[in-house]
Order: sequence, then structure tokens, then C-alpha cells
Amino acid sequence: MKRLGIISLFVILFIAFIAVWNYSYQTGLEEAYISLEPNNESLVIPSETGVFQRSQYALDYANIPIDRNHQRTLDNYYKNRAFPGAPPSIPHDVIDELSMGDNSCLKCHSNGGFVEKFNAYTPVTPHPELVNCRQCHVPEQTNSVFKQNSFEKKRVLGAGNNNAMPGSPPVIPHQLQLRENCLACHAGPSAPREIRVSHPERVNCRQCHVPSEVKIEDIKSFTRNIKE
Amino acid sequence: MYTSLTNRRSFIKKMAVLSAMTAAASMFPGIVFASEQENGIPDGDLEWKKGPCRFCGVGCGILVGVENGKAIAVKGDPNSSVNKGLLCVKGYHQIMCTQASDRLTHALVKKNGTYVKTPINEALDIVANKMKSTIEQHGKDAVAMYTSGQSTIPEGYVASKLMKGAIGTNNLDCNARLCMASAVAGFLTTFGADEPMGCYDDIDHADYFITWGNNMAEMHPVLFSRMLEQKNRRGAKIIDFATRTTRSSMASDKSILFEPQTDLAVANAICYEIVNNGWVNTKFVEDHINFSKGLTDIGYGLEDKFKFSDKPTKISFEDYKEFLKDYTPEKVAKYSRVSVKDIKYLAAIYGDPNKKVVSYWCMGMNQHTRGTWMNNLMYNIHLLTGKISMPGNGPFSLTGQPSACGTAREVGTFTHKLPKGVVMNKKHRELAAKIWKVPVENIPSKPTYHTTEMFRAVDRGDIKFIWTQVTNPLVSLPKTSRYRPGMEKDSCFVVVSDVFPTPTSDVADVILPASWHIEKSGLYGNSERRTQHWDKMVEGPGETTPDAWMTIEVAKRMGYGDLFPYSKENHVEEIYNEYKEFHAGAKHEMAPLEVLKEESGVIWPYVDGKSTQWRFNAKYDPACDNGKDFHFYGKPDGKAVIWQRPFEPAPETPDEEYPFWLNTGRVIEHWHTGSMTRRIPVLHKAMPNAYIEFHPDDANALGIRNGERIKITSRRGSCIMPASINERGLPTRGQVFAPFFDENLMINDVTIDAFCPISKEPDFKKCAVKVEKV
Amino acid sequence: MPIKSYLAHPKKGKRAELVNALSNLQECEVIPAENNDLLIVVTETSNKAQEDKLKETLETIDSLKMLSMVSGFNTSKND
Repeated sequence: MKRLGIISLFVILFIAFIAVWNYSYQTGLEEAYISLEPNNESLVIPSETGVFQRSQYALDYANIPIDRNHQRTLDNYYKNRAFPGAPPSIPHDVIDELSMGDNSCLKCHSNGGFVEKFNAYTPVTPHPELVNCRQCHVPEQTNSVFKQNSFEKKRVLGAGNNNAMPGSPPVIPHQLQLRENCLACHAGPSAPREIRVSHPERVNCRQCHVPSEVKIEDIKSFTRNIKE
Repeated sequence: MYTSLTNRRSFIKKMAVLSAMTAAASMFPGIVFASEQENGIPDGDLEWKKGPCRFCGVGCGILVGVENGKAIAVKGDPNSSVNKGLLCVKGYHQIMCTQASDRLTHALVKKNGTYVKTPINEALDIVANKMKSTIEQHGKDAVAMYTSGQSTIPEGYVASKLMKGAIGTNNLDCNARLCMASAVAGFLTTFGADEPMGCYDDIDHADYFITWGNNMAEMHPVLFSRMLEQKNRRGAKIIDFATRTTRSSMASDKSILFEPQTDLAVANAICYEIVNNGWVNTKFVEDHINFSKGLTDIGYGLEDKFKFSDKPTKISFEDYKEFLKDYTPEKVAKYSRVSVKDIKYLAAIYGDPNKKVVSYWCMGMNQHTRGTWMNNLMYNIHLLTGKISMPGNGPFSLTGQPSACGTAREVGTFTHKLPKGVVMNKKHRELAAKIWKVPVENIPSKPTYHTTEMFRAVDRGDIKFIWTQVTNPLVSLPKTSRYRPGMEKDSCFVVVSDVFPTPTSDVADVILPASWHIEKSGLYGNSERRTQHWDKMVEGPGETTPDAWMTIEVAKRMGYGDLFPYSKENHVEEIYNEYKEFHAGAKHEMAPLEVLKEESGVIWPYVDGKSTQWRFNAKYDPACDNGKDFHFYGKPDGKAVIWQRPFEPAPETPDEEYPFWLNTGRVIEHWHTGSMTRRIPVLHKAMPNAYIEFHPDDANALGIRNGERIKITSRRGSCIMPASINERGLPTRGQVFAPFFDENLMINDVTIDAFCPISKEPDFKKCAVKVEKV
Repeated sequence: MPIKSYLAHPKKGKRAELVNALSNLQECEVIPAENNDLLIVVTETSNKAQEDKLKETLETIDSLKMLSMVSGFNTSKND
């Protein structure tokens, strides 16, 4: 009797196991056959989103007093860039060779702030969503070169000479790729003083400032179809 | 900002001033330091002259810097309450176009296939003689004039007086038919009085801005900036309801996408929710609302000589509630691609009595084969909830042209309109005849051709003479693939007045050189009923002449001199003073010229020295006289109408052969057909050519990469454009978008000439196309 | 060289008088508000002593009800 009880207990357990296994196997199968529904519409326009990204700080930017003693200059901005538009190298030691941007670089570079050690304000990155910082930004470990190189650094883009008429809003002289977020570099205490915007609260920057060089493959110049 | 900040002292001084201004602004919101903003501009011998911007319907105040008789700079007018000193990129650079090398400086007359430079007087003789002989041979209705929402008030007025009063034909229409007609029809059917009840100051009060198919960040950028300012300062919310993801969506708090044409259903679903949840403002509806329905299944006007007139029938609130049952959010969600949750979300915002809501729309709702209905439905939402005619609450129909309101709508340069009222109404004809000093029989009582039909008549050969002013129809009309060959035919004599050569002037027999904006005096009227005057600022080149004066000269040559006794120097003022008589009275009183010269624009009705900012609300509007808090005095019984308007499909929807929706529109850099903005180097460099925009998934599926040449074909025509993926905008899957500014890449060869049967406004936003790589 | 900006409130009805009085001081630049009784005053002096002297002069102006400083900067002489 006792044995029968034990056997039937095991039988019940076994059946239960089969049932559970079967069920999970079936659901497993079902999932495998769920058709690949496209995700919901992605509502991001890469070249357009950036401009509003830091707009929540625009009013703060407008009110921050200027710390004259620690202003950055355009010279300083271009110092660690190989050419206008090149990713800047890292001019300081890094905490850890292994960590990704979101728990190292971005601690300071996502929002900026004053750093005693360097006696300067941290530049704010215009693309905090790209966290693999070291993919493009590398530190300088040595001052020597492997072989001499005659690459000439192109003249840096100037400020104050990009407007078409007296008083008209300057055009954007640089490329926008990875630099869509205007306020990151043009507002706040780390903005180079020559390009610091006087009106950060007007967050729709490209209402007045348009790119000067759009490259949609092979720009045809404007010609009219004159019919005789 | 505009000069290098090398002089640190002056920079610091500026910062000191700026911080003081910020401090003052926090103590006294709205404080203006106009003189300082003016001081901030580099000096020299600049003289700053006030006027309105030449471009869109926002109507920003500008100051043009003139040095030695030449315009050399532009800045925002800090005294203008529209833009408070801010402009957009087009506004800042507008004067640069006048220096374009291909400016039309002399009249050109086509002789044996080539254009011959002709003295302006001779050219005007030719125009007048041709017009006269055409009338003699073929009758009054063989001549036509096609003007513009960019014509100044005097230009529109003399055109109307010449055609309707002197010649006696209603063959006068304007390009505002392509842009504002549905808004007009919507206002007239719902309120009996045209133009918005509110004003831009609503922006400073509203809690929610809901934009319906309206990319304001690019099309009405200065107003959008005012909204963004309220968003950042007060936490106001912007909700973008559209068929395409745009720069506006990026800046909005929420973006909701819908399937083209289903805005009709979603608006009804919102009304259903409002009724069903007891959010109706019962007192307001009882006191101020009638319910009506019109005909349904009303067609699309695709065939020549299409005729339609609506037959309104009164219904009860109960009938209307019954009708709404077809539009539960669950039913509508199925075909609108808007989730039930989002429909309820929108309805809840409109329904919340403690939230102030302004709805904005422009071409998305107007360029619609059911545009009048869509405008009615918008008003239904605001009328059911009583959110109208109050600071921060109201529906607001935006315009696209600087004087779509001032000239096209108020002066009435449509075939059915008079400066006050419509040609069908005997009293209105009598008033016009009295002021114009013509026999009342001169003014025909039947409207003739609306825009699309007018160019069909040219194509058919019914119109033998057409004069276009301040507009470029062969780029802006739908289905130009038909109307361009139509205008090229020898059966019609074409006169084109313009500032620059355009595809329209390419088919002209006579080209008249027009003065640009600041080279003449004039008046514009913007979206918020603001009339703006400017004085001539600089001399135009060569023999360029103001359009109004060319019309007057032709009228004189045709023997109507007595009706046009204006002087060359002062005609703008003389005409305005005559025109003002039409609108006398508290409902539409226009401000006197002296006031307009002084102020940066004045809103009508201008009563007892005061602008009326919110019409129909007894608190603000002296024309309300029914003793209640609101008075919709446009209708005889003082009540506005809630219209029962169903969902009906678009005339052409994507199918197997033509699988994509085609949507068209504008970009921030260019305005309309680009004849001005493309000649401004800054703008051309920023946006050199048109493009066809894809959803990345569609592009992937078709193997299309950015910049590749794509042929877009519809049942009407085709055009080739470079592909654009993930750039300015993001259409939904199954939709493509192209801007229409590029005369070299003409998307309007592809679009459909179906129109709203009530307003006769074509739908540029929806037709079916196929795309292929070439 | 100190540069300071102030908000100046005139006594009732004496706005024009105050604008006049302040504009007469060489070190002061005045920007009146268009729609409020409030002025912005920017002062620029070459050293601390002169700054103090100016302050005293300002305090003697009759039409001035209140003067509140908003910001102050100090720049080196040569730029």
C-alpha cells in the first residue's frame, strides 16, 4: 500500500512534469512563430532632434553670470582638434582605460561644471547618447611622433564673420553631423567666449541660423528652364 | 553675435545690460527696452524704416536699415507685438533678393518669339488694348485677372474695382484660393464672419497648444518660438498632431501621427468623447449654438465645370449625438492609426474646463478635399467646450501669405467676393456700386471661375486674356502638367507682372516689371487681423512700377479714368481711405491711416481708438450687443453653428500600382515657389534643391540611399528628385514628402487638382504615387 | 575698471527728470524701459575711487527713489 502510494505520487509528479514541460514547450514554439511586427514608428529625426536637446537649460544659460577668469576661447577649443570638425583628443588623464562613457566621461561631460584640478569648466558633449567615447576621442600619451608629418591644420573657422548683412544672423559655418545640439557648445560657462550665444533662451536656433553648406549629393546650381 | 566680440569692454557692458534686463524682466514681465535693442545694431548712417515682413502670414514687424538710398540690413521691430524684435532666417535676409542679377527691370514684350525690352508706357498700352479688344470680340468673361495674397491692400482693391466695378466680370481670383479658401468657408459656415476671433496674445495665456497638421517650427517659426518660450517659462505643452514627423514634433511634448484624411474622423471622435464624458459646456451650447448638417458624398471637383452648392438643414443636439456614435475612439482608431489612448488624451485636454487650449492649423487642414468640413469640425470641438474667444482659448487658423487676410479675404479678390460681402447679395453689390460710383448693374451677381477652374478655362480656350500679379501659378498650381501647356497655348494672351523671371513669366506675352515690397508703399493684413502700413523705403531699379499703379494705368487707358482718380505719389493713401468706407462699423472698423503710420500694426475692429483682440466676447468686443457674455453676430440669430460633417475618403488613395501617399509642403529656408528666397544666397546655400523624403524602412525595402535620383510618378505626371532619408523630416511608412519651392524639380506636375467642393481649395497633401530609382 | 549695472526706480512722475540727470553723468549710460517706470543704468569708471565718488553723486539725485545693483564686473585696464 505504502509502495503504491509512493509510486502514484511519482506518477502524478511525472505527469505534472510532462504537462508543465509540454506547456512551456508549446508556448516556446508559439513565440518562435510570432511574426516580426515592425516596432512602433520611431519618431526621431537625427539631424533635427539635437537642436532642442538642452533647451530645458536655456533659461539657466541665460541667467548664469559669466565667469570671466575661466572663459574658454576659440583658440583653446581648436587646440586639441586636428582640423575643424575633427574629434578632439582628450587633454587630461582618464580614470580607467576600461570603462564606457556613461560611467566615466559623461559624469562630467554630459552637463559640465567647474573642475578645480584643471581650473576650467568642463566642455559639454553635443552627443551624450553616444557612450563609446573612446571610439573617437583618444588621450595623448606622448608628445613625440613616429615619423614627421606635414599635415597642415586647416585654418580654424572664425567667429563674427559669418553673417551676410550687418546685424543679420550668422550662418552655421561648420558641419552639423554629431554637432546638432547647438546649446552644448554655444551656451553655458564652457562655451568659447567668441561663440557664446547672447540669447540662449531662443531655443529654436535654426529658425534664424541656417547651415551654409548642405551636401545633398551633387548640388546643381539654380538654373531656370528658359523656353523660347 | 554678429560682430566678433573682440572688444571685451563693450562685451562686458553688454552683459551688464543684459543681466539688468533679465532682472527687470523677472520683476515686470513683458517689460520692453526697445531703444536698447535698436542700439545693439551696428550704427553708421543707417536709417531704420518700419514695415511688415514680405514673407509668411505671421506678419512680423521689420525695420529695414537704409544707407545712401540702399537697403543694407534688416532687424526685427521690437515695437511689434507680433514678433517682439525676433525674425526668422528668411526675414533677416529678405532684402538681398532685390539685388539679384536677373531682376526684371524693364517691360518685356514677346515679338516673333523673343522678348523685346519695351518702355513701360508702351507695354501698358499693349496690355490695355489687348484687354479691350478681347472684351469687344469675346465678351467680358473672356478676360481674367489672377492676383495674390501677397498683393497689398491697394493692389487688391484696384484689381477688384477694375474687374468687378468697371469691366463688370467676376473673373478675378487669387492664389489665396490655394491656401486660405477652406479657412474662409469654415469661418463663414460656422460663424458667418471671416477671420480668427483670437489673436497671437493667446500664446501668452494658453496651457496647451495643439497643432493640427502644422509644422510651425518651419512655417510659422516666430510664433513657434513664442510657444517654446511659454513652454520653457510656464510649462505650457505643445502637442503635434500630424501625418509626418517634423522639426516641430521634435520640440513638442507629444507627437501623434495619423493616417492622411482621417483627421475628419479623429475630430469627430474627440467630439464624441467630449459629449460622452459630459464635458460639454451646456450653458454655452444652449445660449450660443445651432446645429446643422449639410450634403454628404459631395465629390472632388476632378472634372471640368464641376458645380456644387451645399444645402444646410437644421438638426437637434440629439441628432448630432446620434451621428457621433459612428465615431467612438475604438472605431476611429482602426482606420486613423491613432491609438484609442491618444484620441482620449486629446479629448481630455479639450474637455478639461481648467485647461486653456489653442488649436493651430494651416495648410494641413485647408489644402484638403474636405477642408471646409475639417475647419467646421475644429470649431465644433471648441464650441462644444465653450473654449473660444477668450485669452488663451480658441481655434486659430494661420495663414501662409503676408496679406492673405488683409487683401485676399478682406478686400475680397475672389470671384464671389466684394470688399464687403459677396456678389450674390444685392445689398453688398449696392454698397460696392455706391462707393465705386458705378451703376449697380455693372457688378454681375454670379461668381465665375475659382482658381483651378480659371486655369482649366485657359486650357479650354474660354479665357482669352489673363493677367497674373505677384504670383507664380505655374509652380504653385496643382497638376501643372496640365496647366503649363494650357497657358502656353496661343489662344490666351498672358500678362505677367513680377519682380523676377519665373516659369509663369516664361509663358507670358507681356512681362511687366514690378516694384518689390520696400520699393513701394503699401498695407498688409496678417493672420491675427492686424493691418500694417509701410512707406516706400528705397527706389526700385529701372522702370519697375508698383502693381497698383500698373492696374490704374491700364484702367485709365481702357477709359475708366474717372473711376481711378488717384495720384501717382499718393495713390496708396487715397485708395486705403476709399476702401476703409466699406468696413465702417464696430464689426470691422479699420484703423485710420495716421494710426497705422505710427503703430507697428493695428488689429481690426479698431473701435474708439482700441484694437479688438477677442471678437464675439462681450468683455472685449464692443460689437456684441445681445446682452449676453458672447455674441456671434456674424449669424442673423447671433448663434454659431456646430456642423455635422462625416468622414469621407480622399479622392485617390494608395493602391497596388501607386502605393505611396505623396505629401507636399515647404521648408523654413524657402517661401512658396522660391522666386524670392532662392535668390538670397544664404538661403540657397542652406537648401539648394528640393528632395523626396522617405521613411528609412521604405527606403531600405526599395534599396534607396540618400541622394539617389528617384522618379516620382502619379496618374498625372512625374518628376525626378534626389532622395532624402533621415534629414529634415520623417514621413510615416508608405508616405513620401517633397517641398514645392523648386522650379527645376516640379513636384506639382505630380499632384492632383481635386478640391474641396465648398471652398474650391485644392488638396496638395494627398495623392497616390509610385517611386523608382533612375 | 569696474562696470556695474543697476535698476533705477524714479520717484513718481519724475522719470524724465531722472533720465536727464543720469544721462548728464559722463560715466553713466541709461536705458529706459518703454512701458514701465524703470531704467537700466550702466556705469563705467576707471578705478575704485572714482566708482565710490560716482556712487555718492548718484545718491544725491533727487528724482531717484531707489537704485539696486544687478551685476558688477572688473576688467583690466588695457582691453
